[in-house]
Amino acid sequence: MNAITLIWTLVAKDLKIEWRSRQALLTTVFFALLILVVFNFAFDPGSPATREAAPGILWVALLFPGIIQVNRSFQIEMEEGTLYGLILSPVDRGILFLGKFLANWLFLMVVDLVVLFLFLIFYNFSLSLQVLWIALLVVLSGFGFAAVGTLFGAMVSNIRTREVLLPILLFPIILPIILPAVNATQEVLLFQEIQSLNRSVGFLVCFDVIYVAAGFLLFDYVVSD
Amino acid sequence: MPPQSVPLLRLSKLTKKFGAIRAVWNVDLEISRGDVLAIFGPNGAGKTTLLRVIASLTQPTSGKMAFAFKGHNQRRDGVGYVSHLSLLYNELTGIENLLFYARLYQIKDAQQRAGEMLTEMGLEEARNQPTGEYSRGMKQRLTLARALLHEPQLLLLDEPYTGLDQHGSRLFTEVLRGLKQEGRTILLVTHNLGEGLELCNRVIIQNRGEVVFQAPREHVDPSGFERLYFQAVEEGGRRR
Repeated sequence: MNAITLIWTLVAKDLKIEWRSRQALLTTVFFALLILVVFNFAFDPGSPATREAAPGILWVALLFPGIIQVNRSFQIEMEEGTLYGLILSPVDRGILFLGKFLANWLFLMVVDLVVLFLFLIFYNFSLSLQVLWIALLVVLSGFGFAAVGTLFGAMVSNIRTREVLLPILLFPIILPIILPAVNATQEVLLFQEIQSLNRSVGFLVCFDVIYVAAGFLLFDYVVSD
Repeated sequence: MPPQSVPLLRLSKLTKKFGAIRAVWNVDLEISRGDVLAIFGPNGAGKTTLLRVIASLTQPTSGKMAFAFKGHNQRRDGVGYVSHLSLLYNELTGIENLLFYARLYQIKDAQQRAGEMLTEMGLEEARNQPTGEYSRGMKQRLTLARALLHEPQLLLLDEPYTGLDQHGSRLFTEVLRGLKQEGRTILLVTHNLGEGLELCNRVIIQNRGEVVFQAPREHVDPSGFERLYFQAVEEGGRRR
């Protein structure tokens, strides 16, 4: 059985568990919805100030549920000690990381694209070509977020205060992907400028590669006691 | 099947420290094929840590471990581990859990093997039930099935009787007896002196990380073992 089959076995397991419990899915979607609704009530949706703040509101609605998801993905591994079951297996720990990270990323993509759709409705943005660019930014930044989140999620999984510790550890590390994503979203949504997207996309791709490589190489040290 | 002379596992001065705490201290042990070693000791003696080191869940601080597995590429392939945690996913069914692990261990005919193990553990009727709905006894048997899927040469059982009622304990002991008759090499950590003695052919008592007593089972009088146990634990405590 090659690495791809093993990775798929790990991904399928996580997706099946999440589909049956729907715990993280419902929690993250409703939390994101709450953020969008609260800001929608706080600001006048049609006002210029709201349109200026909208990219930031979108990324707040994407980020915080992402933390919940990453935390949850390792919470299920701690409930019955299944993380030890994975570590005990002869599967290379880098492969374990890839399986967990890809499952987190796929899940995030489902949630993020729902949040993006709701955001467009709440803040009166039309469905246009620019939305595809925003979706690309969401996909690329979600990739890096899932990689770092998986690594740090594993690191804090055994700690009682992991819900507090994970965002504290995570946020400084993901700034290199969040800041360009937010700026690029602003340029696309507010100024309809897509020429500068190339730089942002290139930046995101570089950091995604770095984060995934770091996770692959370091996961063994993180899960080893 | 009588134990063979070549040690399957040799521990030399094995030590595991957590900061200043010596969880496992200078343990020398040889386990031959077919041995059923019962490990007794009070809480905090280092029994679980010893098994976790052998299972490669945690790295030793110093000392050596040598395994003589036949035909396995990696140490992790040769070891099966059962603890009081089931290592099962509550949302997956019995057969799904076994199939998942069978695929991780790259077992040929994974579906068939998983089905066979379910039947062997008497869980055929519950195969399509989520394991979150299993009783404690059923979960422990499925956990044992998971640990045996890849036919490990060394089976590590860390307090497997935890939470089992009388009926569940009896069923579990019957399964272990069958494994012993097959010639499996087993390390069993248990607080249950009676059941441990019944199953084992060697006994060790661990206290404060050290092995304070070890003997073949035939040299141990079951009626006097409890007294011997407390004596060994007290003497071991005084030495430290």
